[in-house]
Amino acid sequence: MSMALFSAPPLHFPPSKHHTTHKPYPSLSFKKPHLTFLVSPKAIDNGSGSVSSTSAATVEPEIPEEKGVKVEESNEATLGSNGSAPVASAGAPVTETVRMFQDSRWVGGTWDLNQFKKNGETNWDSVIDAEVRRRKWLEDNPESSSNEAPVLFDTSIIPWWAWMKRFHLPEAELLNGRAAMVGFFMAYFVDSLTGVGLVDQMGNFFCKTLLFVSVAGVLLIRKNEDIETLKKLVDESTFYDKQWQASWQDENSSSSKDS
Amino acid sequence: MASQIYLDLHPLRSLPLPLKTQNPQNQSHHFKPNTKNPITCKLRAAVIGGGPAGSSAAESLAAGGIETFLFERSSPATAKPCGGAIPLCMLDEFSIPTHLIDRHVTQMRFISPSNLIVDFGKTLGPHEFIAMLRREVLDSFLRRRAEATGATLIKALVTDLVVPTSLREPYVINYIIGNCQRQLAVDVVIGADGANSRVAKSIKAGNYATAIAFQERIKLPEDKMGYYENLAEIYVGNDVSPDFYAWVFPKCDHVAVGTGTVCSKGDIKSFQRAIRARAKPKIDGGKVIKVEAHPIPEHPRAVRVRGRVALVGDAAGYVTKCSGEGIYFAAKSGRICGEAIVKASEGGENMISEDDLKREYLRKWDDKYFTTFKFLDVLHKVFYGSNAAREALIELCGDEYVQRMTFDSYLYKKLASGNRWEDAKMVMNTISSLVRCNIMGREMEASAQKILSRV
Repeated sequence: MSMALFSAPPLHFPPSKHHTTHKPYPSLSFKKPHLTFLVSPKAIDNGSGSVSSTSAATVEPEIPEEKGVKVEESNEATLGSNGSAPVASAGAPVTETVRMFQDSRWVGGTWDLNQFKKNGETNWDSVIDAEVRRRKWLEDNPESSSNEAPVLFDTSIIPWWAWMKRFHLPEAELLNGRAAMVGFFMAYFVDSLTGVGLVDQMGNFFCKTLLFVSVAGVLLIRKNEDIETLKKLVDESTFYDKQWQASWQDENSSSSKDS
Repeated sequence: MASQIYLDLHPLRSLPLPLKTQNPQNQSHHFKPNTKNPITCKLRAAVIGGGPAGSSAAESLAAGGIETFLFERSSPATAKPCGGAIPLCMLDEFSIPTHLIDRHVTQMRFISPSNLIVDFGKTLGPHEFIAMLRREVLDSFLRRRAEATGATLIKALVTDLVVPTSLREPYVINYIIGNCQRQLAVDVVIGADGANSRVAKSIKAGNYATAIAFQERIKLPEDKMGYYENLAEIYVGNDVSPDFYAWVFPKCDHVAVGTGTVCSKGDIKSFQRAIRARAKPKIDGGKVIKVEAHPIPEHPRAVRVRGRVALVGDAAGYVTKCSGEGIYFAAKSGRICGEAIVKASEGGENMISEDDLKREYLRKWDDKYFTTFKFLDVLHKVFYGSNAAREALIELCGDEYVQRMTFDSYLYKKLASGNRWEDAKMVMNTISSLVRCNIMGREMEASAQKILSRV
């Protein structure tokens, strides 16, 4: 993966006096960092101490042990950095500074694909991972949009086959596997009950319907929650229409009130 | 119409004659055949509410020869909390003079949750723009024009509408003018009094879900104001609104920074803080000169016409989802309703019925605009649900064809004619953007879960 860019991290850690312990991450030991993150101290109101530790944690899902972060009551948080972090003095009243997303591979508003090369080819999986991390970070720490540093990356830069290989194919394998298992068992079961072989089964209308239902079922209902989701979807899609038609329904109940 | 000729030929005009149903293609709703009810004096109509909807209705009524009373409670200078953007077709259809327009917005900037920016505007022609007006300027112009056409403007607060029990009795409007309570009897009422409509309450029209729109008007320093010369910004993201968007719209000499929501009205202040933070580099150093909020209807009321009372504009709930546009639809519905009454009563000669209103106004309106509203509702549901979907929307909007179609549909309120191949490409791009961004969204959830499970 990406290189460790920390040189002398422990020096930047202010002595921790207090801990805000909303989350069980008051102190995280520093080991093998994969990414550089710059977290400048920021004057934030309650609860953000937890936000900083959550974000610090969520942006590094692959690291076995987390970086060292000390969250002080004055809500200062610093991660090991590449040296240019403006670190507020420990315990002093913190002025508002902006927490920005930073990563060595995020250059000029887009991912520098050269830094993702593996064996001479871009490792799209790691690009996807990096972008996921960035978006998760931004979701938790919304950044102000400035014209000086525009974001230029969008998901269409990643080629379609990278998406297919990583996300579609495994799921397709799963679904096809399910369909095959159901199909084999049903074919055997029907054959044992009626003596009709597989080829003759396909000619029968009832069997074709069953086939259609099972394929649709496998495609649409992948988790238990999907049944509820589908029901809600049907309701939602007709809700707006119902509201518009309401004026006309009233006609039937109040037809006697015609002037 | 055949019936018209019938009437003219017949010596005794006051004899009731059955009128053929005028909407042959409407099979779902059967209108009762109309019987003529001529009256001795002109039809009296009252329009409650003097905004774009009320003024347009009053203008159409007065132009058709009906005795019209327009009620408006506020003075002409009252500013309404509103975006103030109107499409080009409104300038044409309602003959809005150009000197009323504060700004010509030719660039709209959409900003995604991850700050991906997409600029709408390169497809606009040189004469195309979004007009930004001050609501008080537009409203008072329309009101004065209605007055000039013959409507009687009454500056009063309408407190109540008494619905008659029998068919021959008029509606009685109770209103307060100066400090005295007065009453006015009319035959037809158009309720154009906005989201908290009293008329709607009086006819028990039912409630609707509303969004709250909250905005702060901020006066910016000169150089920062220059950036917003003809640029408006729209921000999407869970931080600024869970089910709507936040905006920075330029007004005459300041900007309006605001946001809205339906489901989390209690958190509106934190959403407002969030949009101020998101736009910080651009609005820093500005001074808040006004804070305002207003409900926006999300869908039409259950009853829009009852008896001889019709609701138009915000009172009826004619605000699109997704974009939250209401001014044009308010004015247009007012005009269509006014014209419906003029037509059904034949210039004020006959009494109209609920069926007339439904046939001439509601049916026309629904036929014309339901697909627009439905389409925007679908867009809203698909793209405003999650951050992932919003990212997909912004990505999609980078495409020039999408921009052109969007602007054409918005500016001219007509389904823009595109070519099939581009449409197909757009659909494919939509699906693939949604798929990709939703995958990212799922991965984001998964990584969050992984971290939490390690705790």
